[in-house]
Amino acid sequence: MRTTSFKSRAFALFSTAAMLATLVVAAPANAAATDPVCDGKTPVQTCTGTTSDGAAYKMAVPATFNGIAVIWSHGFGGNTSIPAAGFSIDSTAQLGPNFPGGNGGDPAFVKYLTDKGVAIMGSGFSTQGWNLDEAVKTNAELIGIFKAKFTTTTKVVAMGYSMGGGITQAFAEQRPELISSAAVINPVDAWSSQGKYFLDMLWLLKTWFDPTIKLTGYAAGAAGDMQMLSDLQKYTAVLTALSAGVATGEWPTTSSASAKALKAGGIPSRSALLMVGRLAGISAQSSSFDGIAGPPGAAATAWPLAYAPALATLENIAAVLGYSLLGARDMEAKMGGIWGDNQKTDFSKQLSDEDRTVYNAGLSGNTAINAMLSTLSPLNPDAPRIKGDAAAMAKDASTHYQNTGKIKVPTVMMIGQHDPVEPAGIVQRISDLYEVDFAAEKAAAMKSAQKSGAYVAPARKLQVIWSVTPKTWSKFNDDGTPITLSRTPGTTHTNFTLAQYKVVIDTAIDAAISGNLPWTGAHLSKITKAKGLKVDRDTLYPWMKYYNQ
Amino acid sequence: MAATALSLSVMPAQALSPRSEVGVTSTAIKLGITLPMTGSASYGYNQLPGAMKAYFDYVNANGGVNGRKISLVVKNDGYLPKQAIQNTQDLIAKDKVLAVIGALGTANNKAVASAVNLGRRGIPSLFINTGFSGFNDRKAYPTSSTLLPSYIMEAKLMSKYIKETFPGKKVCMLYQDDDFGDDALVGFDKSHGNMDFAVKVAYPSLSQGVAGVPDSWIAKFKAGGCEVQVVFGVASATLYTILAAAKAQYAPKWILGSVGADIGSINPATVPYIIGATSMSFMPSVVDPKDEYVAKFKEINTTYNPGAKFNSWALIGMNTAFVAVQALKAAGKDLTRASLLAAIDNNGSKFANAGLVPLNYSKTSNVGFNGYWFGTFNKTGDLVPNETFTYTPYTTDSGTGDVVKTTYVRPAMPAKGLPN
Repeated sequence: MRTTSFKSRAFALFSTAAMLATLVVAAPANAAATDPVCDGKTPVQTCTGTTSDGAAYKMAVPATFNGIAVIWSHGFGGNTSIPAAGFSIDSTAQLGPNFPGGNGGDPAFVKYLTDKGVAIMGSGFSTQGWNLDEAVKTNAELIGIFKAKFTTTTKVVAMGYSMGGGITQAFAEQRPELISSAAVINPVDAWSSQGKYFLDMLWLLKTWFDPTIKLTGYAAGAAGDMQMLSDLQKYTAVLTALSAGVATGEWPTTSSASAKALKAGGIPSRSALLMVGRLAGISAQSSSFDGIAGPPGAAATAWPLAYAPALATLENIAAVLGYSLLGARDMEAKMGGIWGDNQKTDFSKQLSDEDRTVYNAGLSGNTAINAMLSTLSPLNPDAPRIKGDAAAMAKDASTHYQNTGKIKVPTVMMIGQHDPVEPAGIVQRISDLYEVDFAAEKAAAMKSAQKSGAYVAPARKLQVIWSVTPKTWSKFNDDGTPITLSRTPGTTHTNFTLAQYKVVIDTAIDAAISGNLPWTGAHLSKITKAKGLKVDRDTLYPWMKYYNQ
Repeated sequence: MAATALSLSVMPAQALSPRSEVGVTSTAIKLGITLPMTGSASYGYNQLPGAMKAYFDYVNANGGVNGRKISLVVKNDGYLPKQAIQNTQDLIAKDKVLAVIGALGTANNKAVASAVNLGRRGIPSLFINTGFSGFNDRKAYPTSSTLLPSYIMEAKLMSKYIKETFPGKKVCMLYQDDDFGDDALVGFDKSHGNMDFAVKVAYPSLSQGVAGVPDSWIAKFKAGGCEVQVVFGVASATLYTILAAAKAQYAPKWILGSVGADIGSINPATVPYIIGATSMSFMPSVVDPKDEYVAKFKEINTTYNPGAKFNSWALIGMNTAFVAVQALKAAGKDLTRASLLAAIDNNGSKFANAGLVPLNYSKTSNVGFNGYWFGTFNKTGDLVPNETFTYTPYTTDSGTGDVVKTTYVRPAMPAKGLPN
């Protein structure tokens, strides 16, 4: 199950959850790694095998192999198997990104690399769900297997997207000696941050719109999966009701007593929906809604101010809902209890001053904002907080490697401005931290120059490439109703073109060869030609809410 | 990227040579502005760029600033924060302006400051068009300067005026439920203006897109027996409140905040109830027959902004450009973003301009004007202090300082309307 295929399966679950029959959990093997078995074909031979933890791997090696190999890490795969619902654990070895409907890696991307003499390898990982620690070990082993088989290997480039982006970053932080450069694409954040992002959104939706949603404390095994699927259906019903209520202000009938009091106070449900997004940190611009364009006429200003941000939030929540619920549930199963705890979370502090002002109209004004925040007080019995299990929380705190964002090898990153699953703030934070490090490097170089008489400029080791939106993109029918748009550049998850993946891997390969990232005009021109990309250190995106605590 | 070696001995010479600055050539200076030029929030504001350009053209025709001609790139943001962000990014990256000037709106300026990060990049955003006091935080907005008095100052002055003019009367208020209104509430509170309201109604800040106000607002004021009605809102909310009040035969003494009563946005021909209402301004009345600034700006407007009515918008736009030219001159021949900001810090409080209260720029303050005079709307819809155009301006601060009659003496208009 890969990032792109997961989404469609998750949505299929909405209508088939009740058909759950049996649960099959794939137990990873624990044996010795197998040597690659190669088909010996030309111009590209394919090799397969398994790592010691049972992960199936695959290699595509051209006859013209030039010594450079890419190791690919795939995206999040669900760790829940519900065959009757068409949902299964997928550990297929992956070679590169998938486009909608694809699996195993896009052949055109593999061909692009092998045509230039570059090999690519990747596994399916033995563990799905949040598998960063397992994947780092698997990748290290896989590199060893590859080098043992192809002894002319000189450089390894790590690349991955989404969960695999986080794995690639973690790998570069922990095992920099094994790679020459990294291509990190819309990475997950450290679990402490990513988990909070998921949990904040899910808890807020549950608390206001359907308190019967369980969210935590699921039963073990198949029974727990049933409970989670029931939740998924309830969340879907909530989103459907909120969608209908954007225009009317009506709240879901399942809303809590506190929410009904907000409704009685004249606050439309779209304001609460937008508030969920602002508190969790979900972008208020999405594939269909830019927050700029409005239908012609009287609503031209009111629409982008009051309605579009709520609709964008809804569209983005729909995109991240499956990942967040399955991810949270999987972590609970792995930790053996409730890993999250928001008893001390001060949600009022999670509404930034800028958001309070910029989205004031959509949030229905300060009085409404304060009323909504007051219902989230820990003292409100109608908004019970999540109380974590001590043992599970301790395990959660000590088990996972937490990405620091430290850049140790030349790294190129690519991310969409409005990715709903991995918000742009993840990369913004890494970029900001790197700027501090780079400034310190430059200061040290200057100090050294005072002694030596020659200034040696440090090389910048991080290049962030943003996938950007058009200037405006929302469209409307003649009657003023909005038109749903899919995969607008800069929005939705892992929404990149083959040309964009190519420019990213070329950047990383150049860096692997020369030791430094390319910053020439020709390189930047190449990025521009890939369309929809921009190297920009001046636009800022808010960090994930976790870091504001 | 290959490591580069640079002899340290070369560096001082490089440091001494003047560096080029974005938006500045030997013959030109480029400035930019983003504001609503179309849409329901554009009324009046969309006349500002025309007036600014007119004054810049006048200066250009008289030799420019240190031989450089000034141009102004105008972007329409429709009063939408996301569009303002894009516009500002374009002004900086594509149009390559030296500075942004006169950007309008609290939400837009906040959004731009956060996403485009003008402060960190050292890009000036001069004379922003909002009275939200938060922009006077120099740490948060190190390259921004305000021109309008803060809404806190406005509320403090209004409190004093109401208490002195209408003692014992029941006072009520309609206010916008966002930063704008929050500032007003601070200005009216116990530690500032100490103003008690019999009835307060907050309205959401969507008024730019709403044609009309609920009758329930007026009903609350009527039921509360309000005699003096403060409206601390934008023009559309002010307009529709007055209309709804007339329909409901609610006839209090109106005290209109400077934003909502932006002179000219309410036409007495269609809204006769505005006549006699009280409001406030820091500029001279646009119909003042003896004001030298009004006279000169009107003359320039006739020549360089043909067909455009000379009204309060033209006066404010031209005055903003007039102050900007002095800042550019004070920054010297080696004009940079840094020297421009320093010029305002060092000399801004002394810049000549039409304002009847002082500018308060210094190394520790980015506050522009700090006070108002009170007047009433006449039959032509113009705010006037009295029949003789004698002004009594008051000043204060955004803290708990007193409201005082100012002794400020405005610098005379320079010869030909051209700063020295």
